[in-house]
Amino acid sequence: MLTNVRVAARADLKSVLSLIAAGISFGDCCAVRIDGVDEDAAGSTLRRFIEQELPKLDKPVALAPRTGALPTSFDVAGVEASAIRAHFGTPVSSGVGQGTAVIMSMIAIPRDGADGAADPVEERPRAELALRAVRAAIEKSLSGATAAEAAILSAHLAIASDISLATEIAARIEQGRSAFSAIAEAGESFAAVLRKSENEYIRERAADVEEICLLLLEQIQGTKLTPAPELAEASVVIAESLAPQQFLALNRIFLKGVVLETGSTTSHLSILARSLGVPMVAGVKDARTMTSPGKEILVDGTRGFAILEPAPEVRAFYEREQKSVTRREASLAARAKMPAMTRDGRVLEVAANITSAAEAVAAFEKGADGIGLYRTEMLFLERESAPSEDEQFAAYSAAVCGAGGKPVIIRTIDIGGDKPLSYLRLPAEANPFLGLRGSRIYAAHSELLETQLRAIARASALGPVWVMVPMVSSVEEVRWIKARLAGGIRLGVMIEVPAAAFMIDRLAAEVDFFSIGTNDLCQYFFAADRGNPNVARLASVRHPAFLAFLKETVARCRAHDKWIGTCGEMAADLRNIPLLLALGLDELSVTVHAVPAVKSRIRGLSVSECEALLDHALACESASDVDALLSPETPLLDAELVILDSACENKADAIRAMAEVFYAAGRTEDPELLEHAVTAREAIYSTGLGHGFAVPHCSSDAVKADSVGVMRLERPIDWGSLDGKPVQMILLLATRSSQKNGTHLRFFSSLARKLMDEEFRNQLMTVQDASAVVARLSRELEIGSG
Amino acid sequence: MVGHAGKGSKVKIVAVTACATGIAHTYMAAEQLEKTAKALGHQIKVETQGAMGVENELSEKDIREAQVVILAIDIEVEKRERFHSTRIIQVPIQEVIRNPKSVFEKIQPWP
Repeated sequence: MLTNVRVAARADLKSVLSLIAAGISFGDCCAVRIDGVDEDAAGSTLRRFIEQELPKLDKPVALAPRTGALPTSFDVAGVEASAIRAHFGTPVSSGVGQGTAVIMSMIAIPRDGADGAADPVEERPRAELALRAVRAAIEKSLSGATAAEAAILSAHLAIASDISLATEIAARIEQGRSAFSAIAEAGESFAAVLRKSENEYIRERAADVEEICLLLLEQIQGTKLTPAPELAEASVVIAESLAPQQFLALNRIFLKGVVLETGSTTSHLSILARSLGVPMVAGVKDARTMTSPGKEILVDGTRGFAILEPAPEVRAFYEREQKSVTRREASLAARAKMPAMTRDGRVLEVAANITSAAEAVAAFEKGADGIGLYRTEMLFLERESAPSEDEQFAAYSAAVCGAGGKPVIIRTIDIGGDKPLSYLRLPAEANPFLGLRGSRIYAAHSELLETQLRAIARASALGPVWVMVPMVSSVEEVRWIKARLAGGIRLGVMIEVPAAAFMIDRLAAEVDFFSIGTNDLCQYFFAADRGNPNVARLASVRHPAFLAFLKETVARCRAHDKWIGTCGEMAADLRNIPLLLALGLDELSVTVHAVPAVKSRIRGLSVSECEALLDHALACESASDVDALLSPETPLLDAELVILDSACENKADAIRAMAEVFYAAGRTEDPELLEHAVTAREAIYSTGLGHGFAVPHCSSDAVKADSVGVMRLERPIDWGSLDGKPVQMILLLATRSSQKNGTHLRFFSSLARKLMDEEFRNQLMTVQDASAVVARLSRELEIGSG
Repeated sequence: MVGHAGKGSKVKIVAVTACATGIAHTYMAAEQLEKTAKALGHQIKVETQGAMGVENELSEKDIREAQVVILAIDIEVEKRERFHSTRIIQVPIQEVIRNPKSVFEKIQPWP
């Protein structure tokens, strides 16, 4: 039994519905009482869940906050705002779609007031049968579901299996209600409680309860209560609200968009729409009456409005936009998969840290060069016995197959007193981080390790697999594994115990590679727990002492010609990349989502500059001095802002494409505002200065940092230039209006002057690649500041 | 002592450039004026009024000794009153960038 002390609400811990209804908000104080024969075990399981799992569960809901404005670039497209019949709402699922309007009626739990004296003996099994059938149907759908669908179906399964719901239905049947009425009333009463919640997320869950009840009622009646419309052509569905199952029943080939009167960004429906890429706008007032069935309608799920019977100019605008979006996605994807090469030509592998095979697929989509750390612990946690060899083989081989020939570094089980496994019976320790963990438990659990090594060896037949051992501090530990590992598999150790760094000479005789686990290494090095706020600041990976230690460690590996990478959080912090680059590592392995940003950061750096920076950092007195050294302003120039093969066909297109390049490079969060600022300047008079050059510019806080963008066009375009000739080379100069940076403005002014020089213009017009542009302009920067 | 500026003879010129945003055109125009003056054998000093404020500011002496002031401006210049007794040629910045020689042709013929 759980009591939410703040609102004095009680909940049965075995019931999802009653837990949701307790309206627990962040920071609420809750009391939990556990009774029964297994109370001790239940208590410790719950404690471990709350302490270790719960904090990792909450995923922030991605909100799309912009709302309420037509694109500023409609002005450029020559569309009169008054001629556009737009209805605004909240952007929920981005993208643009167009089709004929299909208006759906709303879902509601039907009432059947007629019955009053049903026989519980007959009704009880009907309700139970319906519950079982609905659960079975959801379980069946689960088997072929995508991850997003599965999350929702699992939530629905939890509701259909909920003990409070079943109890409530049974109680009503005992009072003489029919199974139909009992389900309808029980569902309505739960939904009503949820709808009253102060928390929007919980209010949204009422729709899920209603949906499950509707499925139950359909079971009892044997008929569909809410038939899905048959879509036969490109369609936009308009409804007051839509249940996830109703949404999934729509023919997705023809479903081009959804407009809802209610709903918000937290509902299951919006999560589904986003994962399936269906544009959706919610909260559009009177959506069902704004148009009639069969009329054309366009949904802009990115900006949050629907346009009725869009004019040809509006359609043309969106077609152009779609083209540039497609181009952008293709170019981002292509760049992500290219190797991360510094400006001076050093290639660094950027790999991903994963905990499951499914993540491997996402990692390679994001351009990972390999898997630098596959944490296998997840396979072993939360279960009664260790996974079998076959089960492990299935998991490892899925990752290896997903890697398509790129190396996968599998770390042998890293478990200790902080992550107890019931079937291992590890002793409780006063200080688990300095206790039995990682490789230190292997000798006592040799069967566990031997099974894992066999599964890994089998997976290695499918692609390159490396094995990495955690928490090594001695040669014996490595030899123990080596004796049990099949031949032909590369073996490495994690450097996370400082002693290992000083044993590299001897370890190198036994292993093929090393990977620095910066998280643990740092806290062991400083004898400071990073999770302890009183001492966490002592354990900074940017402390000069730690950097010196890393430098020494990498040098020792290099002396033995061994491959060395890092798989700690240090590499996911973009500020640290110059230091890691200067250390001379072969690989950085980071969380999946950080891969593209790390690669792009590397591309903007040069090894020689980074080495100088590391020397400075090593000479610093403290971590905070290094911090200051590493967070200078964003550089004006970056190869990411240089596009040398643009296919833009007109001025508006080119300005928009450049704004999108700035967006992709993280220079602006609002590309439309940037586009508008640049276009507004062009309206005064064209910035085409002649000789095929244009210098569009703006002074606007739409940019997060002063920036120079460069775009060279494959075919010259009209820019309204002073000499009447088309433009091929575009230099976009953007400064922030609120903070004037003298050095940057100085650079802009000397660049502007330099553009009057024919030779300089010719050099720019003929450069071979983005880094050459950056190098050429950087030379001007030195002129400007010198 | 104000000299005569006959056709082909050297003229002492001061100029001010100023555009709306002060990021690019102010400086492009200044560069064009300096380069063209040099090519034509004139002596010029150009003050820029851009995003960095006033630079290469014209002194009282510069102005006193100049035979003409070129104002290549899209916006009103600061301290225009400095030029109350100097001959002013005012042109939009675009003209300086498009065809700087035409601006210098306005200096001739000397009235």
